[in-house]
Amino acid sequence: MELSPETPPTVEPEIETSHVEEFVEQLSCVTNSLPSRINIDAQSVEQGLAKLVLTLIEFIRRLLEKQAVRRMEGGDLSPEQIEELGLALMKLEAKLQELKEQFGLADEDLNLDLGPVGRLI
Amino acid sequence: MKLYVYCLAAKIGALAAPVIGISGAAVDLVDVEDFSLLVSEFDGDSAPAVTRENVLAHDAVVRSVLNESTPLPFRFGTVQAEPQLRSYITTHKKALEAKLDAVRGCVEMSVKIISNNTDLDTTAEPAEQGPGVTFLKEKQRELLGSERRVQEAKQVAAWLEEQVGSFARQEEISLCPTEKLIVAAAHLIVREQVTKYRDRLASARNLRPELHFLVSGPWPPYTFSNIELEFKTRFGVS
Amino acid sequence: MTSPFDQVLIQSDVEQLEQADLSLLETLDHVLNRGLVIAGEITIAVADIDLIFLGLNVLLSSVETANEVLRKRE
Repeated sequence: MELSPETPPTVEPEIETSHVEEFVEQLSCVTNSLPSRINIDAQSVEQGLAKLVLTLIEFIRRLLEKQAVRRMEGGDLSPEQIEELGLALMKLEAKLQELKEQFGLADEDLNLDLGPVGRLI
Repeated sequence: MKLYVYCLAAKIGALAAPVIGISGAAVDLVDVEDFSLLVSEFDGDSAPAVTRENVLAHDAVVRSVLNESTPLPFRFGTVQAEPQLRSYITTHKKALEAKLDAVRGCVEMSVKIISNNTDLDTTAEPAEQGPGVTFLKEKQRELLGSERRVQEAKQVAAWLEEQVGSFARQEEISLCPTEKLIVAAAHLIVREQVTKYRDRLASARNLRPELHFLVSGPWPPYTFSNIELEFKTRFGVS
Repeated sequence: MTSPFDQVLIQSDVEQLEQADLSLLETLDHVLNRGLVIAGEITIAVADIDLIFLGLNVLLSSVETANEVLRKRE
């Protein structure tokens, strides 16, 4: 037992800040993550699967964007190639947005909770 | 019958007083190896509902043993059948003992920092530029903006470390968890030092009026309990 | 039928939270995002029958490989 005479009795957590609303806003996304079990049943086949697939596509899409910017900065692409690349990625972003809307998914819905490792996106 | 698990602690004789857990269930003590686990019976196939009452109850149950010993809290929603739970504890006995040792006599304090520093790059774009190029340039700007924020976050985290790092037995710092929240720090503090830590933080805050702080605690050591932390890594292209 | 290592947090239950005040949000941040985790796998079930068990390591290596592939192409 490690009871120390100076240890205060168990107390409610104290929250101390001068900017309550700001922090409420920022912390509100604390509940955004997919369950670690994705149940696809007769009623929600499309949605369950769509969430998983779109999350993975979104993850890759973001990687692609970052890589494209890298290559643009790298200087080894012609202006025409950069334009083509940008247009393709633009369409990809728009297409994904379309798919999200089709399945009634919001941006926050596309994420995967990997437990101790954190979230995918 | 499954068990909802709240926390694991060094062996306790008995609960000091009856405690109510999630969904109004009574909390029991279960001994496994040299540990005591606080659990309650959990019925049904569905998950524990994430409601205000359940969340607060979970935390309250974990806190109820804080006077006697420092527990390792389980994540909210941990439900296991008893045999599987016992098997998990036995398998990870050494690691759990090490964690209990690491948090003994401590509590967790949390500091979150918001920065409203948004300096926008307003360099004019060349007149003739296709939509594809514009798109990529915009993404580049976002990336740079986020790189700048990461730099700022690193600097603020280092400053925080200078200010209160000496009080923390362990710390976990997250950089840029959200748009405005640039630093989220968890500090494992020996209980007797909490007041000094708070005082030092209070004076430190005055040195950085441009930053907004949130300090909360004391908490049971949620952030310092997980024994699978060696998997911690960030995904994405760096 | 649920697997013994089921960690099920249904997102819709979270919407039952009414006025998430700061204290509750902070508590949530601690109890939901941290703490001992027994299993970090992802289970994909169809009609409640667990079919695919994505082990954490499997997912990790897929992402690592993706990073490798992208890096090598530069």
